Amino acid sequence: MLTLYHWEPNANSGKPMLALAEKGVEYESRYLDLLNFDQHQPEYLRINPDGTIPALVHGDRVLTESTPMMEYIDEQFDGPALRPKDAASRWRMRWWMRFFDAYLAPSLSMIGWSVFVGPAVRQRDQKELAAAIERIPLPSRRVAWRKAVFNEFTADELEESRRRVMFGIDVLEAHLTAHPWIAGESYSLGDINGFNLGYALPLSQPQHCNDALTPRIMEWLRRIYERPAARQTWAKGRTQLASRIGMLERR
Amino acid sequence: MLELYHWEPNTYFLKPLIALEEKEVSFLSRWFDPTSFEQLEPGFPVDTESRLQLEREGPLLVHDGTRVSGSFFMLEYIAEAFPGTELYPGDAFRHYRARAWGQVLAAIGADVSILGCARHLRPLLEQQDRRRLQSQLGRIEPVERRAAWEALLDGRYDARALSAIAERLAFSLRRIEGTLTGSRWLAGPDYSVADIDAFALIAPLPALAPEVLNATATPRIVEFLARMRERPAVRRALAYTRSGRPQQAFVPGAEPSRWG
Ligand SMILES: N[C@@H](CCC(=O)N[C@@H](CS)C(=O)NCC(=O)O)C(=O)O
Repeated sequence: MLTLYHWEPNANSGKPMLALAEKGVEYESRYLDLLNFDQHQPEYLRINPDGTIPALVHGDRVLTESTPMMEYIDEQFDGPALRPKDAASRWRMRWWMRFFDAYLAPSLSMIGWSVFVGPAVRQRDQKELAAAIERIPLPSRRVAWRKAVFNEFTADELEESRRRVMFGIDVLEAHLTAHPWIAGESYSLGDINGFNLGYALPLSQPQHCNDALTPRIMEWLRRIYERPAARQTWAKGRTQLASRIGMLERR
Repeated sequence: MLELYHWEPNTYFLKPLIALEEKEVSFLSRWFDPTSFEQLEPGFPVDTESRLQLEREGPLLVHDGTRVSGSFFMLEYIAEAFPGTELYPGDAFRHYRARAWGQVLAAIGADVSILGCARHLRPLLEQQDRRRLQSQLGRIEPVERRAAWEALLDGRYDARALSAIAERLAFSLRRIEGTLTGSRWLAGPDYSVADIDAFALIAPLPALAPEVLNATATPRIVEFLARMRERPAVRRALAYTRSGRPQQAFVPGAEPSRWG
């Protein structure tokens, strides 16, 4: 029995969704609405006491770290290999996944939370919001929600995030000029990770990520978008967040 | 050919030393002193990944031309590329657990590095001629790597900031303590890369933050550290020290989460 608790095919939730689709593994999908704080409800906290998504439940095993979760999916299930065989390419895949998770993702998500998540929930009853934030188990996530809801990001930290996103785009373009895929010669979890982070960059950063300035990134995103597994995964989206992927359609 | 560029056997630098000693593979030890910025000298191997790696100053493994940076991934590389003692035992779920610890420990390593730098590196930097130091720091790229050095001199790590970091560490250490209450090792019944990772990063804490790691608050962690020190490979790794005080050797490491 395999159950995935997830939100939209986006960021951390989309990583195991796309990996499972690539492997051709069936799973029971449990959609949690992040903007409705479903991930902090008692039923879900019984599964992941940290109150973060995604969570993968396989029999009596519970997995809550999305990048290691993808390696588990590749190792545990039959289907096409999503990690290269040689140690050097595997190392490169992992190095880049850390760069995505720890450098690029926090900057992109800070921007996303300030322009999208915050405004989406801010109109609700202030007392209820404050109580909802109090219920968040991880101190670090509580800070993130407080900043988003009450618009407490400083101009400096947003500016630094924008700088990092632009820097990251340049570094990624250079990498994809030297290698067709993140790990080197073959499609891997590194591409699945990067795609979840970057599929909307041409829309959110149109002046930095486009066909003229970053042709390699654009081509890489389109090649992944055209994979049946990606089509299948993004079709599970319920909001505009996921439908942004349509802009990768070749014209 | 296998070469390891490293400094004193502490935190990030200690991890590959232990793993290579566990595997009993022979390698060339390339010692460098990051407090003298030898990693910026011409001739020091560098590529995009080593320059941008989030743990900043070190270590670097060079294996037949492949440069491996990032200390947890270096452990995985050593585990996968060399025969000998199994450092990644068990099934896919145990491997998942070791990697999940790698994520948690990366955050711990960031905080330990700040405590260690504030205590041991800051006084060294403060003794140096400020103009000369600034010009050396000016050579460091990318900017966030340079900023981590400069932050030690701008007064932001005051007593209050450091105690907030120690409190955050206490939260993570309780998780490790909880796991070690049911098991001798972190990722399952057998020793693995997760234990090497944890030992290397938290071994300096009994001296740096005794209020959060001690025999009363975290008895299982104290036993775990002692158990690790009994391993011949760990002893051999620690014997690479030149100062005799490896646990005081700190340079800026990974950045703590920018979300606060
Ligand atoms: N370390 C976890 C982090 C998971 C995480 O923070 N997920 C975000 C969504 S992308 C989340 O759960 N946010 C909801 C919240 O903070 O309440 C991973 O890599 O999977």
